Amino acid sequence: MRRSTWLFIALPLLLPAVLSAQTIQNATLRRAQQAFDNLEYRQALSAAQASLRERLSGYERARAYELLGFTYSGMDSILKAVEAFKQVVLIEPERDLDPNRTSPKALSAFQVALTQILVIRQLRVDSVQFVGGQGVVPIRYTVTQPSRVVARVTGGALGGGAMRIDSTVANGQVNIRWPARLPSGDPVPAGNYNVVIEASVGQNSFSTSQPIRVAHGAVDTLPHLTSLPGYTYLPETEVPPKSWRPMGLALVYTGVALAGTSALSNGDLGSPSLREGTVIGLGIVAAGFVMTLKKPAPQPARGNILYNQLLREQIARRNTEIAQENTRRRQQVALSVVPLPRTGGGR
Amino acid sequence: MRRFTVGRLDGWTVALVLVLSNIPTFQLSAQHFAIGPQIAFGDYRETSSDLRYRGSGIGAKASMSWKKFSADVWLSKVKYKPEGGTATTEFDASEIDVLLRYYVAGPFSAELGFVNRKADPEFEAQSVGTVTAGAQMAHLLGPGVRMTLDGGLMLGPKFSGGGSVSAVGAVRLGLGITVDALRGRLRVTGDYDFQSLSRETDNGSGSLSAPIQQSLGRIGLAIAF
Repeated sequence: MRRSTWLFIALPLLLPAVLSAQTIQNATLRRAQQAFDNLEYRQALSAAQASLRERLSGYERARAYELLGFTYSGMDSILKAVEAFKQVVLIEPERDLDPNRTSPKALSAFQVALTQILVIRQLRVDSVQFVGGQGVVPIRYTVTQPSRVVARVTGGALGGGAMRIDSTVANGQVNIRWPARLPSGDPVPAGNYNVVIEASVGQNSFSTSQPIRVAHGAVDTLPHLTSLPGYTYLPETEVPPKSWRPMGLALVYTGVALAGTSALSNGDLGSPSLREGTVIGLGIVAAGFVMTLKKPAPQPARGNILYNQLLREQIARRNTEIAQENTRRRQQVALSVVPLPRTGGGR
Repeated sequence: MRRFTVGRLDGWTVALVLVLSNIPTFQLSAQHFAIGPQIAFGDYRETSSDLRYRGSGIGAKASMSWKKFSADVWLSKVKYKPEGGTATTEFDASEIDVLLRYYVAGPFSAELGFVNRKADPEFEAQSVGTVTAGAQMAHLLGPGVRMTLDGGLMLGPKFSGGGSVSAVGAVRLGLGITVDALRGRLRVTGDYDFQSLSRETDNGSGSLSAPIQQSLGRIGLAIAF
């Protein structure tokens, strides 16, 4: 049976369990929520506190403390509200309040709670693809208190070991750029890894992680060029415009020959014979006339020839560079880093 | 007999065309030699307008070129017949013309050569031998069509009947055309040559003018190698 078919069968079975984990099942807590919605703060307070003494899921426990935080805020008991919100953040570090639907008092208490406990929130590893050694994996997170934060990568080809990628004293949002390389300089092998962020200050410490998948692929090679964009070869010959020059030259040559014959002939021998010169001269004039009517032969266009030569040299040079680049790229690996869904929160 | 001769000529022509068609074109780039037959026709005058001849005959022409040098050699044999006047006896004029050229610049080349013409019977006309020096001007009329105009002096001519010519008294003038056919393997040639020699003789009673003048036309074919 195919994998998708198994998934199709298992999904209806798993869905209620997933949904029940994200809904409030505890009756006391539901009563407390209802009392809060009706602005009956004292009743909501006692019901929420009573629910905490019962068996609750993590989600329900966080909702119970959140309800306490909202109720104490409504009753102007800010310190207690802060304490309740601290419990919320410890259970669900990624929890955020919607500023559009939350009272300013509650929001303020929540912010104060964040500054009083050490947690790492909003750990994000961006999906990225790059050539090994030529790019970085952007990682960012927010640490709520000034602390020593160490970022490591575990799992995958590292086995039980870990590779430290950053260590700093930080507060607030932190951005890390991980080159995804082993200490030897080689790209990290393909596999599933965990980006682990650990923060510690005094006796307090907190860590969270984000699973990622690193995949290897071949680096795209560049195609060889047959032309340069925007530049085209020019015709290396050009047909000159028609002219009467051949006919003119033929007439001039023939005229000079016949006139020369007349001029150079000896007067004692009578009028010169022009028959021979005329026969050859007529042939030349006829050839000149034909050449005048005929489409002129293409002549080499020197400028275009030089231009084309330059263009060919440029393309050959570029192709040589591309060949060298492709040789280098074939020895490289394309890294693809994708964040995976998280299985749990930090602690 | 006549039909047999024409048939043989046709056969030679076909064979020639077939041979030429099978010569690879790449050889043409190195071809600087051409040779072929010509028919010649001319006019010859000597001493006075009464000694006038016209005639025709056969000839051959060879041309070659190498770098800036080129050469033309003509051989001809013309049977001259009296054309009016007082002449009564025909004669054969066998002539060899050799011209060597060196390309100078533009259309101009310098020329140096010699002319030797023998008359048979020997005393019907003057045999002459002379060195020539001059210049040639050449132009391309179009692809494969080249025409030339040349002229010069005939230096130190010698005549079978004696006599002499002043330093500038013997001149020659030429006009020529070559047309390439069959992609340059065959050439049609046409040449005109005019010679005027103001010869003077002395029979003891003083100098006598005895000029010689010849106009010669030649038309032919040549195979280029």
